[in-house]
Amino acid sequence: MKLVQIAGYLGSGKTTLVIALSKGLSRSGLKVAILVNEIGEIPVDGKVIEDYGFTVKDIGGGCICCQIAGNLTRTLRFLGDEQNPDLVIIEPTGMAVPGSIRETVEALNIDIGPTIVLFDTTRSEKLLNYETLKRLISTQIRDADFIALSKIDKVSEDVIEHASEAVSVINPAAGIIRLSTRRGDGVMTLATAVQEVTIKK
Amino acid sequence: MKDDLRSRDPLHEGIFAYSVSCLLSRDREIEGNELRRFARELMVSVSGTCFHYGAIDIGHIKAYIETGTGFLYADTLGDAGDVTIEGREGDAVRSFRLVLNSVIYGITEEAVKEATEEALERTISGFGLSRQPVAPKVIPLYRPEGGRHDG
Repeated sequence: MKLVQIAGYLGSGKTTLVIALSKGLSRSGLKVAILVNEIGEIPVDGKVIEDYGFTVKDIGGGCICCQIAGNLTRTLRFLGDEQNPDLVIIEPTGMAVPGSIRETVEALNIDIGPTIVLFDTTRSEKLLNYETLKRLISTQIRDADFIALSKIDKVSEDVIEHASEAVSVINPAAGIIRLSTRRGDGVMTLATAVQEVTIKK
Repeated sequence: MKDDLRSRDPLHEGIFAYSVSCLLSRDREIEGNELRRFARELMVSVSGTCFHYGAIDIGHIKAYIETGTGFLYADTLGDAGDVTIEGREGDAVRSFRLVLNSVIYGITEEAVKEATEEALERTISGFGLSRQPVAPKVIPLYRPEGGRHDG
């Protein structure tokens, strides 16, 4: 069982990407399980993903990076024992610190694949302007293996370039992918990256 | 909300959520296109009210509407023109379930609750709907003082 995180700040397009990736990976023959963590006690995202025909394990009531890491551990053990998927896609809350989740998963001896962090190009100025948000989002970006510049269909080339430079300064080692899930840009690149690490195992 | 489920991570400071689930109904049937209009107006109303209360950023406002044959979901990041509504309208109904989740940066948890409830009540009233009381929940996400931390 391999695990991939699709992380990123609130509203960056995680759920839409999880649906798109899951469709593609399932079509290629991988058994995919989806684990969604939401801030609210009443899940919305999990219900939406289920509406696309996927089975979702919903962890609500707090953030798995810090508040309810124990729930993540139990849920992953359950998934491994009961469903034995090839791949678990985790969509943490928009406030989650991907590195903390990685630590929890590594402690379980589960193979962890790339951490994909979405960065919303339509809000890049705002997100990197307010001190608290900047600290959170910079931490998320630092933990990324791939940074997906999301919603590029809604902004100009200049804005994309500016966002790309901003995230590169924070995490120069990460691969940067231009993503428009709605238009399909970048989805195949990410699916291939995920598929390669999953098949390696 | 259990106290030990509150986040103490300073990176989460200033972000609060409020979730509500309710049954909405009226005598006159509600067609699918009106459900879509309801969802859109709810998104605009909640985000506008949160900004009015002083929100700096709309983390997200998300909702779904569930009827016997339909399932619509809506979200916004606060720009009035940027409301997404997807899903199936289904048959006309006299009642439906609404789940609404607001995650807001820059106002207190009580203000998130008040703004969301105020906008929800206004939208419900505008569509002539009545709401069956379901206990709302405030989700506090940051508590600066210490305590158990299971991460």
